[in-house]
Amino acid sequence: MNKEVQPVVLVLVGAAVLKISLGEAYLRYVKEGLQPFLIASGVVLVLLGLLSAWKDLDRGAEQASPAGAADGAAEAADGHDHAHGGPGIAWMLLLPVAAIFLVAPPALGADAASRDTGTVAGPRETSFVPLPEGDPVPLSVADYAVRAGWGGADTLEGRRVALDGFVTPAEDGGWYVTRIAMSCCAADGQAVKVEVLGQPAPPADTWVEVTGTYVPAAAEDPRTVPAVIQASGVVETTAPSNPYL
Amino acid sequence: MTERTTAPRPDGDQAPPRSSRRLRRPGALETLVFSVLLLVVAQQWLVPRLDAPALQTWATIFVSICVQALPFLVAGVLVSGAIAAYVPPEFFHRVLPRRPALAVPVAGMSGVVVPGCECASVPIAGSLVARGVTPAAAFAFLLAAPAINPIVLVATAVAFPGQPEMVLGRFLASLTVAVVMGWLWVRFGRTTWLRPPRRHSSDGTPPFEVFRRSVQHDFLHAGGFLVVGGIVAASVNVLVPSSVIEALAERWWLAVLALALLAVVVAICSEADAFVAASFTQFSRTAQLAFMVVGPAVDVKLIALQAGTFGRSFALRFAPVTFVVAVASTVLVGWWLL
Repeated sequence: MNKEVQPVVLVLVGAAVLKISLGEAYLRYVKEGLQPFLIASGVVLVLLGLLSAWKDLDRGAEQASPAGAADGAAEAADGHDHAHGGPGIAWMLLLPVAAIFLVAPPALGADAASRDTGTVAGPRETSFVPLPEGDPVPLSVADYAVRAGWGGADTLEGRRVALDGFVTPAEDGGWYVTRIAMSCCAADGQAVKVEVLGQPAPPADTWVEVTGTYVPAAAEDPRTVPAVIQASGVVETTAPSNPYL
Repeated sequence: MTERTTAPRPDGDQAPPRSSRRLRRPGALETLVFSVLLLVVAQQWLVPRLDAPALQTWATIFVSICVQALPFLVAGVLVSGAIAAYVPPEFFHRVLPRRPALAVPVAGMSGVVVPGCECASVPIAGSLVARGVTPAAAFAFLLAAPAINPIVLVATAVAFPGQPEMVLGRFLASLTVAVVMGWLWVRFGRTTWLRPPRRHSSDGTPPFEVFRRSVQHDFLHAGGFLVVGGIVAASVNVLVPSSVIEALAERWWLAVLALALLAVVVAICSEADAFVAASFTQFSRTAQLAFMVVGPAVDVKLIALQAGTFGRSFALRFAPVTFVVAVASTVLVGWWLL
């Protein structure tokens, strides 16, 4: 990669980071808290690229050769200073840039969730506080799954709950209401699924609110399978700006 | 001045010089502009064909690994550039014990106070070596900094509530890996395995210019390798079904090896790996510990970055040995504490 392209690549990478971090698109990939650092690194890269372009243009003017051949001559004039220019591996940086500008990958959805078991890790405390007032009680799928799988099922008995998430079809024709829990970036996303009984499956990746009551999962160890809800209603909703838990 | 930007590769272990020469004829800038235009034009046609759900999942994970690592990488190359430009080599000779065998544990412990991710510590270790720090100490720092800094330890405590022994186990096992690897380098390491470091000597170039060029070179270099690591990690994430991995949880040694290997291929940031480890509820706690000790020390992203910074012949030796030492250290600590 020669001296002329390097600033362009720096600016492109910086611009791609700024494009996603100045809006809400970055929430598809990383946690909210990273935003200021993303913006800062985007600005650093763009400034660095502009500075380099300016410095190299400056130097190029000093050493301009009559042939006018842009880079070849400038580098020859500089001797082996630029013999290798820069690392060729740097071309790889254009791949995520192209992905961000051209494809803009969506947040993880049903496809990623269908690869996970959909079970949840154990709770921090073994005692469960009663559900708050309300009918139905809005509850996150993670809260529901932990109560159902880890010994808090009695707090769910006899209550109507509302779970929101996207639709993940199951292999056997059933479906799950799903959220993906992310602790750092989408690569560590873990799907939390609750199997929905009694309602036909909406199309995959549709965001829905499922209202229903708790029923135990049909497994010896409830920690090894997704929790289950007997649904009385399913309403289509819009995706939240932060799709992850 | 002439040596700085060339990043000499006497062993010719890298294709780039050749390919960039080939690209130079039509003009790399023209090639770049042309391909960008081509992509923009082709976008209408291309994007609907990239619609396969698995490909989208891959793209999301790939982009998220790159985006997550980027601020840490930028911070790392800024620090390493500052070390190259502004910190005189004598400084390290003053603070580090003269004998490499003693410098190793000191450098390892200094990892405790540097909150960083592995992506930041590779370029920093690279510039430490370039500044004349004994490689053994730089490697101890490289391995310790992402594994035992306060952010990572707090994250571990949050991910394993009520189990302080997991935090202690992680700290001890990771520090052991860093120090043992440093000592192994003192005893067996050869400088010929390392790509000769770029010299940032004071030859009249203004310090800011040294800083700027170092940051630019290191970012482009390490960034390219980071992308390669991201490709591998995203592919494994999408292609290997988690049921395969969970089937291995039955025997304890298979479980430890499975999670250790998984840590290598999924390349999760050290600040997040505790949460992922905690989600492997079917696995023993020693296996979970292996995931957290191996991950920050050796993973595909890190191997790619190390190959970029220190050369391929170094990475090919360092990574497998680190893996073995990390697994051994985990098993010992797990047997003692967990």
